[in-house]
Amino acid sequence: MSAIRVDAKVVMLGKESVGKTSLVERYVHHRFLVGPYQNTIGAAFVAKPIQVGEKVVTLGIWDTAGSERYEAMSRIYYRGARAAIVCYDLTDSSSFQRARFWVKELQNCEEHCKIYLCGTKSDLIEGDRSLRQIDYHDAQDFADEIGALHFETSSKTGNNVDELFHKVAEDYNNTAFQYMTEETGVDLGQKKDSCFYSCCHNN
Amino acid sequence: MDGEVHRAAASWENGTLAPVDRLRTERADSPTPGLVEGTEPGAGQKSAMFVHAQSFEDLTAETEEARKEAEGYSELGKPADSTDGIEVLMGKDTISEKQNKKEGWQDSKSKEEDVSSEAWRSHRKHVFVLSEAGKPIYTRYGTEEALSSTMGVMMALVSFVEADKNIIRSIHADGYKVVFLSKSPLVLVGVSRTSQSDKELMRELQYIYYQIVSLLTLTQLNHIFQHKQNYDLRRLLAGSEHLTDNLLHRLDRDPGLLLSAVTCLPLASSTRDVVSSSLQAAKAKSLVFSILLAGDYLVTLVRKKDQFLHHIDLHLVFNLVGSSSSFREGEGWTPICLPKFNTAGFFHAHISYLEPASDLCLILVSTDREDFFNLSECKQRFLERLSKRNAYQALKDALKSPSYSVAQVGIPELRHFLYKSKSSGLYTSPELPVVYQSEEEEERLMGLYHDLHSRLHHATRPLRSIYHCGETENLMAWVTSGFELYLCFSPLGTKALAVSAVNKLLKWIRKEEDRLFILSPLTY
Repeated sequence: MSAIRVDAKVVMLGKESVGKTSLVERYVHHRFLVGPYQNTIGAAFVAKPIQVGEKVVTLGIWDTAGSERYEAMSRIYYRGARAAIVCYDLTDSSSFQRARFWVKELQNCEEHCKIYLCGTKSDLIEGDRSLRQIDYHDAQDFADEIGALHFETSSKTGNNVDELFHKVAEDYNNTAFQYMTEETGVDLGQKKDSCFYSCCHNN
Repeated sequence: MDGEVHRAAASWENGTLAPVDRLRTERADSPTPGLVEGTEPGAGQKSAMFVHAQSFEDLTAETEEARKEAEGYSELGKPADSTDGIEVLMGKDTISEKQNKKEGWQDSKSKEEDVSSEAWRSHRKHVFVLSEAGKPIYTRYGTEEALSSTMGVMMALVSFVEADKNIIRSIHADGYKVVFLSKSPLVLVGVSRTSQSDKELMRELQYIYYQIVSLLTLTQLNHIFQHKQNYDLRRLLAGSEHLTDNLLHRLDRDPGLLLSAVTCLPLASSTRDVVSSSLQAAKAKSLVFSILLAGDYLVTLVRKKDQFLHHIDLHLVFNLVGSSSSFREGEGWTPICLPKFNTAGFFHAHISYLEPASDLCLILVSTDREDFFNLSECKQRFLERLSKRNAYQALKDALKSPSYSVAQVGIPELRHFLYKSKSSGLYTSPELPVVYQSEEEEERLMGLYHDLHSRLHHATRPLRSIYHCGETENLMAWVTSGFELYLCFSPLGTKALAVSAVNKLLKWIRKEEDRLFILSPLTY
């Protein structure tokens, strides 16, 4: 087992507890863990190969922590990403505001990154429609405006989850220019100092 | 901070820490295992892994330093200056302060049912963290919102005493101890009904302080409060409360935190050597520390030459890994500040379990935040080497019985013990015998050890040894320049028996030392 070759870097962004980790968990391990909420610390990386037509594309998924504490660090996680899944909780309007923040951030710093807007916890809405705080059409309009694709998923039931990641891989595969470097497929050396960046890095 | 690390390294080079070869022969000749630092059972042979903090004294001595620092800090804004911080101590005056405090509690009663309940009050130990503006940051029990007035009162007490160029250390009243630790820009307050001394409580608050610094760095903390004095720090700490909760739980339970030491997974030295050298071989330029943990046991630690890890930092890493399941899936990559190493900056830690269901967790601490894939490869290399040399299976077998029974020592009256080698900063202890396995009994035994510890390390009247006869057990504690030993005997034993048991135990530990301790720590 030598270094995993990653074709496309995918980053999960969104407010804390919207269910980014659950989404990855559902997609990668096909399960939904019930239990007390555990926040992600820093970020977690998983590589997942996915069959697209005849080819196998390996997604390198960065599941980032939603906590504001890591905001200044977030750039190291989304730099060079080919796709960003920006999540919001369908039952929490403040999480949608946060999603707008991430979209703006990506538009400013990572113009080649394709954005997928993802409303999570759709199973809750199916149980009780009054819980919905983000109108489907409002989110769709926002997605159109920023040129993003829009999904509503449930990690609990698995609804739309595979479709989302499959679309990510497919889009990557269809993109004309193959942007790949070296072993890892992610250019870690690339330095852009436009965006804000933590002052506390220890050299 | 850098200076501190160097200072520690220097004292080590002066020979206070590591035994030279000469000592190794002495070790074999000595009839009773050495009482001298560096020759005691479990002392490392080559060099120590940790910053040689002799621990408790160092820690509290540092409190003094920090206190003076803090004092200097608070004086910045004041016209007059005075250098001596006079301890404000209890007596009758403080009782009225205590009453103030009670009123504070009653204030909050109306707002939040929770914190006014008898159950809330009767917790053994409360911990509060607040900003210098009096804003709540953390409470162990209840919600911060409900306690904002209580914390306001706490801050008022601190400021009131500070206004007279004094520093409030503690209030003793009504069976409670209220201990204050001012670490600008934070203030930490502990309220305890236990028999722990102020010094011990202070030390626990210090751990909590370092826990917060490890998440944010002191630089960032200072920066935030300089910009906005009444900033609500909970925004940045969101999601980390369970780390602090867990650390407090560990402080009550984990002998390692009491002894300022770490315990190792008992492992055949041949296996450990293979594991260590495999880890050593899987190096990268940016790596500073490679740490392999199995639950709460250290398996091995490889460090960069001349860089030492402090046991507090290691305990913070233990706590981070132990409190979170988030590293179970995939590979974690997180900024972490090791406050005893450097409070100013973040390291970046690659944290992953060797297998999803395994207890073996590898932590690679790097200075380069771009180095994730490089470190991920280091882990793969380590794993490959480990299985190639058949050490992985041996390691997994050792994990099945991570502890040993006290019966192996062969002293019938001996129920349990804690033994710490001072020069290596490692301790060993058997599993708890049946009588102490219930949660209550475990806590009681740890409480007894805490008592012994605080008596041995009393600020003004330190002791070398104690023998204590109790109703349910007899206890003995002994501290030399080389080790600290705490023993628990059945209540039927005698003092003479206990003394002879100590010799027998030390010999046993000497015999087993290469299994119980890491004798030859490696560097890259």
